[in-house]
Amino acid sequence: MTEITLSRKPSTVQGDVSALNAPAKLTARNLNFYYGDFKAIKDVNFDVAEKCVTSLIGPSGCGKSTLLRIFNRIYSIYPGMRAEGQVTLDGENVLDPKYSLNKLRSKIGMVFQKPVPFPMTIYNNISYGIGHYEKLSKADMNNRVEEALRQAALWDEVKDKLGQSALGLSGGQQQRLCIARAVALKPEVILFDEPTSALDPIATGKIEQLFAELKQHFTILIVTHNMQQAARCSDFTAFMYLGELVEFGVTETMFTKPSKQQTEDYITGRFG
Amino acid sequence: MSSQAIFIRRRIINGFAMVLSLSAAIIGLFFLGWILWTTFSKGLPALSWSLFTTTTAPPGEPGGLANALVGSLVLCLSAVLWATPVGIAAGTYLAEYANHTKRGELIRFINDILLSAPSIVLGLFIYTIIVRPMESFSAYAGAIALGFIVLPVVVRTTDEMLRLVPTQMREAALSLGVPQWKVTTNVLYRAARSGITTGVLLGLARISGETAPLIFTNTNNQYWSFSPNSPMANIPMTIYEYAKSPFEDWQQLAWAGALLVTLFVLLISVVARVILLRNRVQND
Repeated sequence: MTEITLSRKPSTVQGDVSALNAPAKLTARNLNFYYGDFKAIKDVNFDVAEKCVTSLIGPSGCGKSTLLRIFNRIYSIYPGMRAEGQVTLDGENVLDPKYSLNKLRSKIGMVFQKPVPFPMTIYNNISYGIGHYEKLSKADMNNRVEEALRQAALWDEVKDKLGQSALGLSGGQQQRLCIARAVALKPEVILFDEPTSALDPIATGKIEQLFAELKQHFTILIVTHNMQQAARCSDFTAFMYLGELVEFGVTETMFTKPSKQQTEDYITGRFG
Repeated sequence: MSSQAIFIRRRIINGFAMVLSLSAAIIGLFFLGWILWTTFSKGLPALSWSLFTTTTAPPGEPGGLANALVGSLVLCLSAVLWATPVGIAAGTYLAEYANHTKRGELIRFINDILLSAPSIVLGLFIYTIIVRPMESFSAYAGAIALGFIVLPVVVRTTDEMLRLVPTQMREAALSLGVPQWKVTTNVLYRAARSGITTGVLLGLARISGETAPLIFTNTNNQYWSFSPNSPMANIPMTIYEYAKSPFEDWQQLAWAGALLVTLFVLLISVVARVILLRNRVQND
């Protein structure tokens, strides 16, 4: 893992992470997004630092989930939605229609708000995605499934019931299964869309602990409603408001001395 | 008005509404009970093993329903066999590819019309496009006509069950990079499986007693026939013909047939219920 020394420079207005001494894995440049005629993302410039946890915070409807959903082009399954501008992953523009969705989604995984295990066994939930990309022997597949479940801190709880339906797991376990499912494809980036807002505090705590371990291997971007969660788990934080990226910076700086009044108002609970 | 008066007025209206809805339920159940009672009391004495071992016979001679039972089974299963894949495909198109589109809404609307189309109209339609050109009644014309009753039921349930699958499950599967057709067949069908199966079963239950679509397409056969090009014996037409005949033994057979169809429909409804319930328990 690249050692990143986070500088204590004042946070930048636009999200250029290079000023903060971290290599950018994923970048958005002049990014705009439309739901039909409605412009939901306005000219956003934003970087996600490699092998770090970055949080997107902001009041409901500010466009943070919309922004997240651009990165793996999941929005493209709905008619009338379009993104303009550039999103690069390792320098390649992923919004280019020529960039294969298959490749994009093998590199950028996603975990959703509601845990949605597939209606199959625990084992098959993990192996399903892998089987789409790689033809593995039974033994290799077993190893991959175990590895993914271990990375999601779920192995010990499910190792004796891999053949049972995943729908029998608790909500928190189901969400970790979804994380394992994403991790199993060995992506480079994992997007989390409010991953704990449907979970109880204990399950939330387990998932928050996971972020610290997952960032050893993956670049992580989290959308969260929970400011404490952003403060606890992330290295960088971006604050969005009305479709614009208001402020971006090192989490500690963002929560102690933000440079914008709007950011301060939001993190001190004056609106949102 | 004092609050006490309002309270009393509401109690009275509430009681009145309770009496109305209760009597409506009782009237419905009463006639259902009466129908079942008649079917059982007239049908049970007519039940015997010979029903299943001998074929329909001229009046006065000992006969059963063996050919009609087998014929009905063949006709209904063939109808379900062609209508199910077509219906699932159409329902999938509506839910997964044409949802929220004008075209999808139009097809849904037309399907709903087909769902409530009088079955005799479907029979006449098949008569015009198949029986007339072929110049003969046939089992496959009957199976096609029956299938058109199952089809809209399967389209509707497939469509509805797929739309009940949470959007996030689609997104989660797509976000793994799996193409949409695989997501549909591997993940969504699995999630909607019990609902779709129930739809198919209810479709089967619905056609097992249908007579009107067979009158113009398949008619009936007194003998064994397994040729798709000629009429096949079946229960509803046999009931229809025997019940209005003047012969006591034929009337008995009609009652027995009515009871068997009723039991079959009851069995399928129970099975459908069990499948749905078991799935609900699994999901909780």
